[in-house]
Amino acid sequence: MAMTSMSAVPAPLSPGPCGHASVVYSDDREWAGHLVPFVRAGLERGEQVQYFADTTDPDRVMGALASAGLDPARAAAEGRLVVTTAARTYLSGPAFDPDMMMGLWHQAMDTALAEGHRGLRAIGEVTWGARDIPGADRLLEYELRLHHEVFEPLPLTAWCFYDSRRMPADRLAVLVGAHLTHLGGPVADPPLRLAPLPGRTGLRLAGSAGYDTRHAVRAAAAVVSGSPGGDVELDLSALRHLDVSSLAALAEAARRRGQGRLRLLRPPEPLRRLLGLFPELGACVEIAGT
Amino acid sequence: MTTHSRTTTYFRQPPGRGPGSGLFHPALFYRSDQEYLDAVGRFLRVAVRGRGDHALVAVPGRRLEPLRGLFEGVRGGEGDDPAGRITWVDMEEAGRNPGRILSLFREFADRHENSESRPAIVGEPLWVGRGTAETREALRHEALVNLAFAGRRVSVLCPYDTALPEHVLTQARRIHPVVTEDGRRRISHEYADPLDVCGSFDTPLPEPSDPLVIAFGEHELALARGTAEDWASSCGLSPARRTDWLLAIGEATGNSVRHGGGQGTLRMWRTGDSLIAEIRDGGRLTDPLVGRRRPDPRSPHGGRGVWIMHQLCDLVEIRAEAGSLVLRLHMTLD
Repeated sequence: MAMTSMSAVPAPLSPGPCGHASVVYSDDREWAGHLVPFVRAGLERGEQVQYFADTTDPDRVMGALASAGLDPARAAAEGRLVVTTAARTYLSGPAFDPDMMMGLWHQAMDTALAEGHRGLRAIGEVTWGARDIPGADRLLEYELRLHHEVFEPLPLTAWCFYDSRRMPADRLAVLVGAHLTHLGGPVADPPLRLAPLPGRTGLRLAGSAGYDTRHAVRAAAAVVSGSPGGDVELDLSALRHLDVSSLAALAEAARRRGQGRLRLLRPPEPLRRLLGLFPELGACVEIAGT
Repeated sequence: MTTHSRTTTYFRQPPGRGPGSGLFHPALFYRSDQEYLDAVGRFLRVAVRGRGDHALVAVPGRRLEPLRGLFEGVRGGEGDDPAGRITWVDMEEAGRNPGRILSLFREFADRHENSESRPAIVGEPLWVGRGTAETREALRHEALVNLAFAGRRVSVLCPYDTALPEHVLTQARRIHPVVTEDGRRRISHEYADPLDVCGSFDTPLPEPSDPLVIAFGEHELALARGTAEDWASSCGLSPARRTDWLLAIGEATGNSVRHGGGQGTLRMWRTGDSLIAEIRDGGRLTDPLVGRRRPDPRSPHGGRGVWIMHQLCDLVEIRAEAGSLVLRLHMTLD
């Protein structure tokens, strides 16, 4: 376990093609193993580093950084390091709202650059996604939309910290699957994996969708109906099966989408068969690829 | 010709509605091809030419051509159907699974029934040589016609070959309020409550030997689907039928978790030329017509899953047993 997590930690000296990664840890040592190099690299590069804690006490974040030989107090005093909590910031409203979050990231980036930092990197503990807080069910939608709406246009690096002790394995698997880059402990493949489509508005669906994956499908539908821009695409080439509920949810999302169409790329036979039984579900959907 | 309205006044009139406003559901026991053509042809002429109504003819394939000949033979001649009011359907295909026939009938009737019009249907889901289980479900369909069209301005003529087994003809007399037998139309004194008739078809299902068994709850649904797909593939089910198989099982197992107490058991086995999947859960069947009307695909209620199973499978058997609901889905290996 420790070996996996340590070997998976790269030194993020330059942001990759996508700065959005999931990080899974199962104890404090693994947590610190991811935290310290990430913050050190950011400070060395002159980027502002923000840490949004959830279950971890902010003082423990500062302590872990100090133990590793960094000077977090000075960095914080100079505004190069911000350690706060989700509850005090983006979760202080009535409910977690992905639409608002997209704006917040753009604002945070503008602010960091305006204050003279060379960039922005952030860590967010998102273990609150497993708790019963308003809007927590939209975390998956948020993770999926971040890629295209925030990370592709902005030179931002952000790691989503998942504490595997505090999140059910099935939920963790789906959320981690929504990241194109994963670090830390291994996570099982979910029955239905949703991931962003690089360079386009849309998602890739892989696996098998049924009653058991209805929450993931609801998130996919939210991405379809809520993503800004023109057309939205779902790459279904790796989807083996889906039930009528899933198709109906996606079709309804396509209908609600204000602009553009929903394009389904290389849909599997079950989807074509269902459209044969229910042609009305294909009204706002375009099929592409065989 | 007013035979229809005269006869329907004898039974099951919804209160407050005049003669001719209810379902007309006669059985025709025919002894020869000629008797068949004469009687069915007369029924259709009355509907299409006499009343100007639409008709749906769903009979075994080999019966279609002679009947069509009566109506499409000579343009402008006797029995012609210039307005194209008759829809012809091969029952051996459309009614391969008897559980999907009623949905077809209802869609047709819903489209054409109104205060001026009485759509006519010829439905022949039973033929000599049909399998035991299919025959039982076809008779169940026949009994459910009485429930589905109760009080509706619809005529459904059901031809029965007198060469059919006597027990089938006996059931036909219980199912149809009016029977034409030996060329004479009479009220059937054996007519019985449709629910009682259906109950007599709820015979115990044969126990399989050595089935593949998967107990599932919500977290095992994906495993159940994956196993069903792999198993069907190893049995040689063609990719197209495998899609149907998987869709049907996906809906059935999902329904178990959603409506049937949160869990169920999937059993799969092979008999002769068919694959059978049985899904057992703690659900109840409250509506005998469930899955026999085309549903709104957006609503999880109203029998959407069962309707899909009926459309995709070659036979669906449903039994309510002590505290549990059992669905058997049959898929023929082509």
